[in-house]
Amino acid sequence: MHRSTSWFAALVLVLPVMGQAQTIQNATLRRAQQAFDNLDYRQALTVAQASLRERLSGFERGRAYELLGFTYSGMDSILKAVEAFKQVVLIEPERDLDPNRTSPKALSAFQVALTQILVVRQLRVDSSNFIGGQGAVPIRYIVTQPSRVVTRITGGTGPLASMRIDSTVANGQVNLRWPARLPSGDPVPAGNYNVVVEATVGQNNFSTSQPIRITHGAVDTLEHLTSLPGYTYLPETEVPPKSWKPLGLALVYSGVALAGTSALSHGELGSPSMREGAVIGVGIATAGFVMTLKKPAPQPARGNILYNQLLREQITRRNTEIAQENTRRRQQVAVTVTPLPRTGGGR
Amino acid sequence: MKALAVALLLFWPVGLAAQHVTIGPQIAFGDYREVSSALHYRGNGLAAKATVEWKKLSADVVLSKVKYKPTESNSGASEFDASEIDVRMRYYIRGPFSAEVGFMNRKADPEFEAQSVGAVTLGAYMGYLLGPGVHMSLNGGLLFGAKYSGGGTTSGLGAVQLGLGLTVDALKGRMKVTGDYGFQTFARTVDNGSGPLDAPIQQSLGRVGLAIAF
Repeated sequence: MHRSTSWFAALVLVLPVMGQAQTIQNATLRRAQQAFDNLDYRQALTVAQASLRERLSGFERGRAYELLGFTYSGMDSILKAVEAFKQVVLIEPERDLDPNRTSPKALSAFQVALTQILVVRQLRVDSSNFIGGQGAVPIRYIVTQPSRVVTRITGGTGPLASMRIDSTVANGQVNLRWPARLPSGDPVPAGNYNVVVEATVGQNNFSTSQPIRITHGAVDTLEHLTSLPGYTYLPETEVPPKSWKPLGLALVYSGVALAGTSALSHGELGSPSMREGAVIGVGIATAGFVMTLKKPAPQPARGNILYNQLLREQITRRNTEIAQENTRRRQQVAVTVTPLPRTGGGR
Repeated sequence: MKALAVALLLFWPVGLAAQHVTIGPQIAFGDYREVSSALHYRGNGLAAKATVEWKKLSADVVLSKVKYKPTESNSGASEFDASEIDVRMRYYIRGPFSAEVGFMNRKADPEFEAQSVGAVTLGAYMGYLLGPGVHMSLNGGLLFGAKYSGGGTTSGLGAVQLGLGLTVDALKGRMKVTGDYGFQTFARTVDNGSGPLDAPIQQSLGRVGLAIAF
């Protein structure tokens, strides 16, 4: 039972190491790793300590201390494991153990090690794109001990040779937003810069950096509107429904004229002549009848005309605002911030 | 005809500027009665009508010449020519209504075959658009200050006129078909020393024609 548990623990402890892209070249360290894999902790301890006295690369040195940390954890020497992991973190501040693949003892020792040394880890600058003066670059990092942390931008000229953008006393996760502006308010010129985070507590200090590239571009302008979304012009004329009004009015007009003629005629002159009035009256009645049958002429739709007028005014007003906005945008720059690959760890 | 020329000269420049001038010939046919049913004439002739519109103002000038012949050959009456000028100016008020003022003058030739008459007209005009390009009108009014060549008088409300009109656009409004009806009645009274005698005058005149629009 004890043997099988040890095997499992060894597998779990070794997997993170095997997952590294870089390989171990040092023969002594490889022997130590082999001994650890064989659960020969004493042999692993002896050989790993021997390897540290040899010339090792930074990666190999980190792996050697990590191997020591895992070995001490396996041997329940927690304090020594913590010391070994402290060395790991000092060599590789970004180093993290996978909690799903690491024994709780080793993980616990690693976490204790993190709290006992001052490092700034996981400095991240998010890619962002915004209009100069109207946005900010998200920056975040983790500081392992309560300390005074100063964040600077370096790598430029003039004020950008070293420009402080934040200073705070912090512990744990810190989030800040940098507007990428100079003290004058102008956007930071395009170029490559470094975001440097320096943590200080007593005599201890640690700094790390993240290179970034800032580029400038033109701000997109807005298209002028030809219509408002969801609103369409209405027809300014509408065909009224057919009615008998034209014929009715034609008959009324003709009737009034003929009745008037009859009524106003003098009796002593005989019966009045209706021939002339009848000819014109019949013509008018015929025209009225034809107009009744004919499709009525489109009439101006006052409500629709007013609606269209209002719509045109709204579009004109909006286009005026767009023109003003475009004028302002043409004077602005679009700032794009891109993090670059890091070349080294912190110190 | 002189009057028409004068009227055209008066209204032509205004009409050109306003682009609302129509002018054209008409065929006239009428019925004329005077004094009694024995003096009854009917006749045909020619007419010309000009219309000018400018903003709220409009004017009609109508010239007509009708040769009237007695309807009964044994009445002892003779045929005569009636030359008439009718000028009306209108001012648009509201809706279909306009106010109308003008004058008319009709001369008979030979002079003693019928009464020549002149009067000032005052009345109202109603216009209505029956449909696209089809316009009808009804007008009526009083004829004031009537003067007769043979003498006589008319009371203030004794002379009346009625009218009916139709205009149909053709050729996209450049040409118009026109039809007009006019009725005039004068309750004329004469006094030859034996007391006042009624001597009414009455005319119905129809006109059909074409007009060109400018």
